[in-house]
Amino acid sequence: MRRSLLFVLMLLVLAVSALVAQDLTVPMKNGSVKFAVIGDTGTGDKHQLAVAKQLTATRAKFPFEFVVMVGDNIYGGNSAKDYDRKFAIPYRPLLDAGVKFYAALGNHDDPSERYYKPFNMNGERYYTFKPADGVRFFALDSTYMDEKQLKWLDEQLAMSGSEWKIVFFHHPPYSSGDTHGSDETLRTQLEPRFVKAGVNVVLTGHEHFYERIKPQKGIAYFITGSSAKLREGNITQTQCTAKGFDSGYTFMIVEIVGNDMHYQVITDTGKTIDSGKVQRVGKVEPTPNRTAQPVVATGGADKKTPSKPVKQ
Amino acid sequence: MNVSRLLVVVGFACALSPEPAAAQTAAPKPPQPKISTATKEKAAEENANPDAIILSDFQKRIDAYMDIHKAAAKEAPPLKETKNPAEIKAAQDALGAKIRAARKTAKQGDIMTPEIQNKFRRLMYPVVTSPAPQGTAGREVKKDIKEELKENTEERKEEGGKPVVLKVNATYPSDTPLPTTPPQVLMNLPKLPEQLEYRLIGKNLIIRDVEGNIIVDFVPNAVQ
Repeated sequence: MRRSLLFVLMLLVLAVSALVAQDLTVPMKNGSVKFAVIGDTGTGDKHQLAVAKQLTATRAKFPFEFVVMVGDNIYGGNSAKDYDRKFAIPYRPLLDAGVKFYAALGNHDDPSERYYKPFNMNGERYYTFKPADGVRFFALDSTYMDEKQLKWLDEQLAMSGSEWKIVFFHHPPYSSGDTHGSDETLRTQLEPRFVKAGVNVVLTGHEHFYERIKPQKGIAYFITGSSAKLREGNITQTQCTAKGFDSGYTFMIVEIVGNDMHYQVITDTGKTIDSGKVQRVGKVEPTPNRTAQPVVATGGADKKTPSKPVKQ
Repeated sequence: MNVSRLLVVVGFACALSPEPAAAQTAAPKPPQPKISTATKEKAAEENANPDAIILSDFQKRIDAYMDIHKAAAKEAPPLKETKNPAEIKAAQDALGAKIRAARKTAKQGDIMTPEIQNKFRRLMYPVVTSPAPQGTAGREVKKDIKEELKENTEERKEEGGKPVVLKVNATYPSDTPLPTTPPQVLMNLPKLPEQLEYRLIGKNLIIRDVEGNIIVDFVPNAVQ
């Protein structure tokens, strides 16, 4: 009797494990670069807490090492209490587990946030970091995109060589949002540089929804601006939209394995609303006259996009 | 046609018109240049554009402010990375106090003189206020700017905090939201050193010392 009970229990455990494993579409390879992306987070309200809770739960299955924050990290006041309520408390379990956060400044952020050590900005408005061989991130301040920053970006991109080049900042150069839409000025400033230097992926926020843009000039663009704030029904699908989700709070998990970047977008209730991979096509040559290494983005799980007319 | 039938026809026509007559409010007129005699004379003497003289004057005033800032920063505890945000605030307050002491007689208009204020209003008008033809990128940009300014108001309501006192040398209250300033607006304004930033408080544009968290000067009714 006991043996059969044990057997049933084991079956149950295996079934639950299988279900949990099914939740994840990322490959979970040893030695891969694993990270999460959150955006427009710093409200301190229940939605931020719900996303943070789900993010923490996801890490139990997918042990990401760091989190990229695409801006609006501290909304409203920015007293010491605000830093606690809008960052340290929601992400406490992750911080305690040694997960590093890398922040970019949004339009609602005080630039003095760059001195807050847990944001890992080294006291700079824009900076770069390399979490592993072959992958480099570039954080930009898209509110003040001045000549000095652009010159710095050109130099850093040129020095980066044959790495995955992932740039993150707040304002999206491409967006199907009704409220803000694409920041075309920023696109004019940045896109030629990205193409020339072979940037692969751009992560942004600002719009309070999730959107994956069809690769533009060989670059994959993602908007993850609904990790605490949401503008329901704000997406009007455009020709650029590969996937849009504007009815729930989300974050993204990412895994880089060789020339593949796998992504999965999860809601605060644990539902996967998008997944797929960005694939670097061709070999990146570290020559002075590099051109963009085209990416192919393939969608996965749920391809349903808001049923709205296509904006021409 | 009797009077009642005429009224019905006119009423029907009004109902079909794309915008009610009352809603067709004209956009505010662009601010007219207000250039002092001294600037006009200098411009004539140097064979220069008066606006270039005004912007050069602004730059000189900002440079003079930065000399004070840098001198004060040497005497204040440095802003450095810390896990404790209270230390960031303390460093800002210390620097702010030193700057305030060094320019205790400073008043509104010392940097943003009346003609510089006028120039700023003229620089902001085309980006924020002036009408843009339908279907153009300018119209989308203006819509976005208006949304961002609306967000500021909403955030202010949600977060509360002390009202911002528009006063030179006043500390920006740390429990009050820092309103966003749309990048499109910033691109149209003279560049500031990275220790300073523009912020829109309602219709007023302030120059804020980020490291000292104080209001350096401001333009009342910058958005016309």
